[in-house]
Amino acid sequence: MRVVIAEDLFLLRDGLVRLLEAHGHSVIAAVESGPAALEALVGLRPDVAILDVRLPPTFTDEGLQAALAARREIPGLPVLILSQHVEQLYARELLADGHGGIGYQLKDRVMDAEQFLDALERVAGGGTALDATVIAKLLGRPARADPIATLTEREMSVLALMAEGLSNTAIAGRLFLSEGAISKYTTTLFTKLDISTDDDSNRRVRAVLTYLDSRPSGPQ
Amino acid sequence: MARPESGAKMITMWSGPSRWLRATAIGYWRSVVLVVVAGLIPALTVAVAVFGLSFSRSWSAHLHAPPLVRLIAAIGEWALAAFWAAAGFSVAMAVLGRPTAQFLRCYGGHWLGAEIPSPYRPSRPITKMSTGYWWNGHGYHETERQAKIEAWFMDRSLLAIRSADGNPQLRRDVVWQAMAAATVVPVAALPLLAGAGAIYAATAQSMLWVALFAVASVASAPFAWRTLALVAPRYLAPNPYATAEEQVARLNSIRADLTQTQAAELERIERSLHDGAQARIVALGMHLSAAERLVDTDPEQAKQILREARASSKIALDQLRTLVRGINPPVLVERGLVDAIRALALDAPIEVDVRNTLERRPEQPVEAALYFAVAELFTNVIKHSHATHAAIELSHRRGVVSIIVSDNGTGGATATPGSGLDGIARRMAAFEGQVHPDSPAGGPTRVTLTVPCELS
Repeated sequence: MRVVIAEDLFLLRDGLVRLLEAHGHSVIAAVESGPAALEALVGLRPDVAILDVRLPPTFTDEGLQAALAARREIPGLPVLILSQHVEQLYARELLADGHGGIGYQLKDRVMDAEQFLDALERVAGGGTALDATVIAKLLGRPARADPIATLTEREMSVLALMAEGLSNTAIAGRLFLSEGAISKYTTTLFTKLDISTDDDSNRRVRAVLTYLDSRPSGPQ
Repeated sequence: MARPESGAKMITMWSGPSRWLRATAIGYWRSVVLVVVAGLIPALTVAVAVFGLSFSRSWSAHLHAPPLVRLIAAIGEWALAAFWAAAGFSVAMAVLGRPTAQFLRCYGGHWLGAEIPSPYRPSRPITKMSTGYWWNGHGYHETERQAKIEAWFMDRSLLAIRSADGNPQLRRDVVWQAMAAATVVPVAALPLLAGAGAIYAATAQSMLWVALFAVASVASAPFAWRTLALVAPRYLAPNPYATAEEQVARLNSIRADLTQTQAAELERIERSLHDGAQARIVALGMHLSAAERLVDTDPEQAKQILREARASSKIALDQLRTLVRGINPPVLVERGLVDAIRALALDAPIEVDVRNTLERRPEQPVEAALYFAVAELFTNVIKHSHATHAAIELSHRRGVVSIIVSDNGTGGATATPGSGLDGIARRMAAFEGQVHPDSPAGGPTRVTLTVPCELS
């Protein structure tokens, strides 16, 4: 895959480049500021981009803004956002356009190379890879009178893992259930959320979006 | 009816004899009040001095001695009289100084159509300390009675006028008395003395003098009391320096609170780093050196240790993250107050509406203070109110940012000293901010935070 990296800490940027190249990906640009990231994203159209939220020159949310701006130019451009902290607020903004191809992870997930690369590939494939911390926060929200409220506890945990971006096999592994059982859960889940059958990964993204939309986000 | 313009004022002034009569009657009454109230202490002082002098004169008048001794005796007598006068004045001031001045502030202000605020500082509370002694703001005493007496003495007695703890207004009250005795009292006494003169002249059958005195008395009556207008605003009103002094005292207490809060914060951060991340990183180093030692001889064991090391580093990171959130929440830095409050609302276990009309950001320190105040109010809502819905409204009007946090919970929140609300109020005070809780028992609760602040 052709990857663009935007990260201002040299050590982390260098580490990411090494990690990706060791796994056969090519890093076509490694930049350290928000404007440079936007330029690289729009100009080079990578298969996937890895961005830090906080970048120079303002050290606020330059990286996030660059990702959102690039996705307005190129809808569905896969981006994986890394940050020292994760916020529901940012997750919602990233997912709001409904195109998928969104990853949002804590920086320390990079320590587990396998899982990190797995997440990166899912994002590049148009799926989602949200950090478990965001999911946990989302689950902490009170349920309202909506389709989500009709889900059973088990279906909820399947949906949560789906939002993280895991495949049925991976979900089965996490919940210590058979893949067949998971497949059954996902089917009832899609029916309950009124999501019609088409491409499976798209359907999964939509399930997650339904899930996010069901939460009060406060007027923007 | 057309009137010549130049005479308009005179005509309105004399527009009716009834009005003039009324002004004269009021003038007499006010003159009497002024002479009695403002002249009370000088009169008492003079009376005591004369009384003292009559005593001493009775002794030296019959003295047969050389001139030098007589001179010394006379000087001693005058000194004694001065002492009597000072003692009389001091006692009269302590007992009557404040009531008479307050009376004239109240009525004089009313006559002049201006409010003269009371300049006295509130008396300090007398409290029993854990040692069993009573503290009155000046010193410790064995009984409450002693503490009260000393507090009264420090507040009222001229003997305490030079003490740093003494009442600064006392000095001004003395100046007021002197000024009143020199200006207000003699002038207000004019119509009364002239009236008395007219009556005296009538008994002496001197019609010319009766007429002269009567005219002087009646003519001066409507105006004599007005000397008060010249003296009162300057000497009865609160001293601008006293107001500044109060401000200094308030700022001092804010500074004391701030330094304490800051020290407590630093201690919390230090302890959190020391027991948390720092300890984890030490453990990490130990794990790594153990792994290094075992890597050749027992690779399996080394791998296990490295796994532990990784887990340890993850925990250290989590702890640091929590700490950073408590110091300066990342969303606040990245997005500012409104989005930080939105993020807070999203993470809450109850439904929260955020309504915002702020278009720009407050300056950074105010932003952080407001954020932490809202976060704490929020924690209170979730912990204590049993609310199912909360709302936060942010607005900016006439240079003041206000945030209203309301919920549909059980209410009963009060800002008693030492409570959470009191703590928020104290921290907001550093920014001239205020906290207004409105939380009747049974709910709902509505807490308003206001801070004067320009947006940028």
